[in-house]
Amino acid sequence: MAQVDVLDRLVAVVSSQVRWRRAEHYGLRAAFYGALLAAAVLFFKAGLGGLALVLAGVFLVGATLAGGVIGFSRRVPPTEAARLADRAFELQDRVATALEWAKREDRTPLVDALVADATERVQGLQTRQIVRRVFPREARALPVPLAAAVFFALAPPIPLPIPHLPDFMAAREDDPTPERVGTPLVQDTMRPLPKDPLKRPSFEERDFTARPGSPGAATTGDLSAIFKDTALAHQRPDFNSFLKKGDERLKMLEQVDRLPDLQSDFTSSQYKMVFRKSKALTGGLRPDQISPQKLRELLDEMERLGRKGGNWSPDAAEGMEALEGGNQDKALEAMEKALNKMRAQEEAQRGGKNLRGGREGERAGNRGRGSEGGGPDDQDFGEGEGLLPGKGKSPSPKGEASRRLQASPYDASVEGESRRGRKESYDTNMTGRGGKMPSRLQYLGVIGQYRKLMEDAITRESVPRDYHSQIRDYFQALDER
Amino acid sequence: MTQESRVQEFVKAFEGLRSEVEKVIVGHREIINHVLVGMFAGGHVLLEGVPGLGKTLLVKTLAEGLDLSFSRIQFTPDLMPADIIGTNIIVEDANGRKHFQFQPGPIFAHVLLADEVNRATPKTQSALLEGMQENCVTVAGNSRPLPAPFFVLATQNPIEMEGTYPLPEAQLDRFLLKLRVRYPALEELNAIIDRTTQSRTVTVQQVMSGPTVLAFRELIREVPIASHLRDFASSIVMATHPQWDGAPEVSRRFIRYGASPRGAQALVLGAKVRALADGRYNVSIDDLRALAAPALRHRIILNFEGEAEGVDVDSLIAQIVETAAGAVTQTRETFLR
Repeated sequence: MAQVDVLDRLVAVVSSQVRWRRAEHYGLRAAFYGALLAAAVLFFKAGLGGLALVLAGVFLVGATLAGGVIGFSRRVPPTEAARLADRAFELQDRVATALEWAKREDRTPLVDALVADATERVQGLQTRQIVRRVFPREARALPVPLAAAVFFALAPPIPLPIPHLPDFMAAREDDPTPERVGTPLVQDTMRPLPKDPLKRPSFEERDFTARPGSPGAATTGDLSAIFKDTALAHQRPDFNSFLKKGDERLKMLEQVDRLPDLQSDFTSSQYKMVFRKSKALTGGLRPDQISPQKLRELLDEMERLGRKGGNWSPDAAEGMEALEGGNQDKALEAMEKALNKMRAQEEAQRGGKNLRGGREGERAGNRGRGSEGGGPDDQDFGEGEGLLPGKGKSPSPKGEASRRLQASPYDASVEGESRRGRKESYDTNMTGRGGKMPSRLQYLGVIGQYRKLMEDAITRESVPRDYHSQIRDYFQALDER
Repeated sequence: MTQESRVQEFVKAFEGLRSEVEKVIVGHREIINHVLVGMFAGGHVLLEGVPGLGKTLLVKTLAEGLDLSFSRIQFTPDLMPADIIGTNIIVEDANGRKHFQFQPGPIFAHVLLADEVNRATPKTQSALLEGMQENCVTVAGNSRPLPAPFFVLATQNPIEMEGTYPLPEAQLDRFLLKLRVRYPALEELNAIIDRTTQSRTVTVQQVMSGPTVLAFRELIREVPIASHLRDFASSIVMATHPQWDGAPEVSRRFIRYGASPRGAQALVLGAKVRALADGRYNVSIDDLRALAAPALRHRIILNFEGEAEGVDVDSLIAQIVETAAGAVTQTRETFLR
């Protein structure tokens, strides 16, 4: 093993410096707490007498010494001392490396040269204090308890309040009992208080003015004026019968399904709400993964809406029957049918207010002629379906070409004229034949596929998390169109 | 020969080779040092810089300073793997009998300059992979060793990316160091003008042979490194991994993949060469700091956010190194606590 005595000596010197600094550090910390104790003892010197001064001195000096001893006795790892020496004397890790490798079995021939080099450099060093003094936080606050201790030591003893506890000893018969009966104060306290009769709360009546035209005349003090908007306004209020028979309003409250859904967005139509719910239910899932319970609830809601004035109620009912029979696929088909009818009815209600062209009218006309779901262009596609190759309902692997394709291969040469008037942006509102031609790609047929592609891309590609919600919002906006 | 004399011989050879290169190359002291570090560490070096900064000239001058065979391949899109590693050709002997004979490619040289390596197709680029890692190539099922020492110096242009094939991560990882050649300073540019526009011929002398380089490579591996410095190197490399528990915030935010264990090897080996070239027998923390960027910059892949914000990998590495160094040197402050 290489001779590392010089290096060990350097490490010992550094360790010693560290120990003394630690002793100072911990001594100051302990002195603070010792001074606190000393001040407390001197505060109570009235009770302790001359012993307080002795105790205070013992606490202060003892704590300081104890802290110093603890700090000095803490172990300093030689490797850390060596690294400290390397940094302080700019030895470029020579000492730490030499000390570590000199003790290793697998040391290389260069280690001897390293030890010699490090030894030579260490011998040329001027040993100095390299561990800087670190004052603890307590050292800054130390003058406060010290000053307090000196103050309490010099100040006269502070009289402490003597607590007078009640005499819990058993009273003896021969104890003189003080005569307290005759004092006016005692007399006052012993005088029985006059009985305060419990006053019943009076039923205070107020005058209410009857609304002109209300049934029945409101007399003075008639509380039925409160109920002037109800059919009971002409009667005197009888709360017992009110609770027994039940107010009409209470009955209304019992019919939960007739209450407005305050959490829903009433700016959107029924169709949009149902469509959104159906998308949330079926989005990205296979038919066997969809919850039958939720599907039943949705069909139930569609059926209820249909009863209010729609023609999709039978479809929804058919879907519920299919669901009861365990045929979930059929139930989903029925739901899609009902959705289509809902949308058709909504579009019919909107009439010509929207910006859609003649295609909608044509479709409506087709439906009117009984050609419901006649061609591939007329039907909406579900999730994962559409006109992309292999996705459509056509047996052809490339899907079925639309009639639009057969009519003209290029969209650019669509026959028709742009609408008249000022156009501030890109305008697709055409008139003539072009306006009646169906689009090549059906919107609802592809939006599901595109949304799936988007979800895949978000999970596969490293898109920043902040952009996820923006992308999803964009597709959500597309869904709602 | 004592260890001290071996080290002194290395220092002298290192200085001599550098001064020979500096006869031709103006400035770029750090680049020249790192190229020599890569050569003595037994690795390969990738030089990146815009055209006209003297990358190719640097490598050619270095090859002239070594008593070693040198070949240069100008990578182009139509270069084929056989153009690099060689092929079997049919030859006819004196008796008229035909047989295959291996015609070695330019890869069979001690110093190989792969100029504009990102202009060749990935297939051709990958022809270098086996040679760079295993020091041998396989042709027609026969493995043929490359001459030792084998040292690849590749150059690439960071601009004009049209028609180029950026090196895949697997091949980038084969390079020990990646050096960025920057524009010269004003004084250096003046010196370049003076040196290259006058009729003065510079002769580079050969100062080192192949066996000497191999002997120095053995010597370098004997340089000891303290365990706390080895931990420092490991923590730098680990801190480039965003999924590591101790990774700093910058790593988690901007890095997709961190450096491989080859990065740690490159860091420590390079630091050993730097220490020995400095005449020291041990690695210091400054050696590791100096080698961190060249050894790791091509092994870190930024994520989308890092690319979008134009994060500079070198500054990222500098932050990582400072974080790791803080953990090593903070004992000085916490010593008394």
